[in-house]
Amino acid sequence: MISFILFIAVIGYSISSRAGLTVPEKFLRDTTAYVQQWFYKPAGYIAGLFQDIGNLRSVYEENEQLRMTAAAYAREKVEYNLIQQQNERLQAKLNFTEEQKKMYDYKYLIAQVVAVSPDAFNRTMTINLGTREGLRERMAVTTEDGMIGFVSEVSELTSTVMPITSLNDEESGISVTVLGKQNQSFGILSGYNSETEHMLMTKIAANDPIKKHDIVITSGLGNIYPRGMVIGKVDSIQDSDIGLTRTANIKLSANFDHLNEVFVVQTPGASQ
Amino acid sequence: MRMPGMVLLIYLVFILQTSLFPWLVPAAFSERLIPHFTFVIIMYAALYHSRHSALLLGVGFGMLQDVVFRGHLLGLHAYTMGLIAYFAGLLLGGRRLTMLSALAITTMASLLYDLAIYYVYEVFRFTSDPLAFVLQKQIFPSLFLQLVFALAVYIPMRRWFEGMTRARPKPSSE
Repeated sequence: MISFILFIAVIGYSISSRAGLTVPEKFLRDTTAYVQQWFYKPAGYIAGLFQDIGNLRSVYEENEQLRMTAAAYAREKVEYNLIQQQNERLQAKLNFTEEQKKMYDYKYLIAQVVAVSPDAFNRTMTINLGTREGLRERMAVTTEDGMIGFVSEVSELTSTVMPITSLNDEESGISVTVLGKQNQSFGILSGYNSETEHMLMTKIAANDPIKKHDIVITSGLGNIYPRGMVIGKVDSIQDSDIGLTRTANIKLSANFDHLNEVFVVQTPGASQ
Repeated sequence: MRMPGMVLLIYLVFILQTSLFPWLVPAAFSERLIPHFTFVIIMYAALYHSRHSALLLGVGFGMLQDVVFRGHLLGLHAYTMGLIAYFAGLLLGGRRLTMLSALAITTMASLLYDLAIYYVYEVFRFTSDPLAFVLQKQIFPSLFLQLVFALAVYIPMRRWFEGMTRARPKPSSE
């Protein structure tokens, strides 16, 4: 009975106050992660080797595709440079402050995943970057394919990544929009349905131009998460329970299994 | 072997189940097969050594997991692991158990452990998945995984723990 009361107290404490970690906690996390990385990395390399042998056949096709993408990239690069120059010129004319100019100047830090939590409802990951490298809580974490989560706890050498699939309705609140319609579309990511393996995007206005197969990205509104992180593709849209807004089911584009390297997005405001 | 060796071994198992094991599972099954190998060993400690050491190990390693992978709640694994191992030791510790019954008890305890975790997350509304779905998707497949691991380590663990108990003429429990 006493243990039960104690348990409730500890849980209550952990829900209410989440102001950083205590020193013994940090120590325990860092030492454990230090040992864990001896195993995770080599295992990843060996698994990767087998996968590479398996993929050998599809390499030629992939190469062909990449060549086409590279050609398209070269064309777009020219266009991008022109637009960027124009943008800079206009910003200078409109007297943008230094802060405003650097607002979208993100830095990507490469982090190694060290361990994965053995808890089905709390699939957090440990990565090998911490406050020493300038990580802060609530920084976005992505892979090449799309956003996977955000940094939820930091200690000196390591930090914990909370995947967006483990979020519940109250916690997430990542504002998202649709690629190509950034000014007209708006929604909030809330909750993951593990039965259908869809992420829910709620609070979409009735006149929103969102369509099936649209690519959902973070909007960067609120200045907590960076803008332009790919979340996934819209799979279906339906009216919400009350009927005033709509809800979209999003197929996540990032793969959460066998992660090796992830990118932590450092926004300029957070790095100071 | 003494207690420090035991703690070191369980620590190693904890490290392996969080860092090496995810790579051994095919990507399609990584949501389904959730290892609780530390819990299996702690159950053996409860059955073949003493319930007090099982309680301490359960709370200690549960807390380690809670702190290292801190997510929504703190202390959940510490509480469930410690309590289930303690009660298993209280009810069944010290008796001569056959291999089959020890495996059955360990499997039942793993099921209880998974259910307890699910219900706590459900009560605090961190998950909204229905129980039937969770059972089918993750708890039953993981149960088989736990059973296979329990079978694999049964003989060395039993020898070790019984050796520890015999080394001391007076058992610590009662």
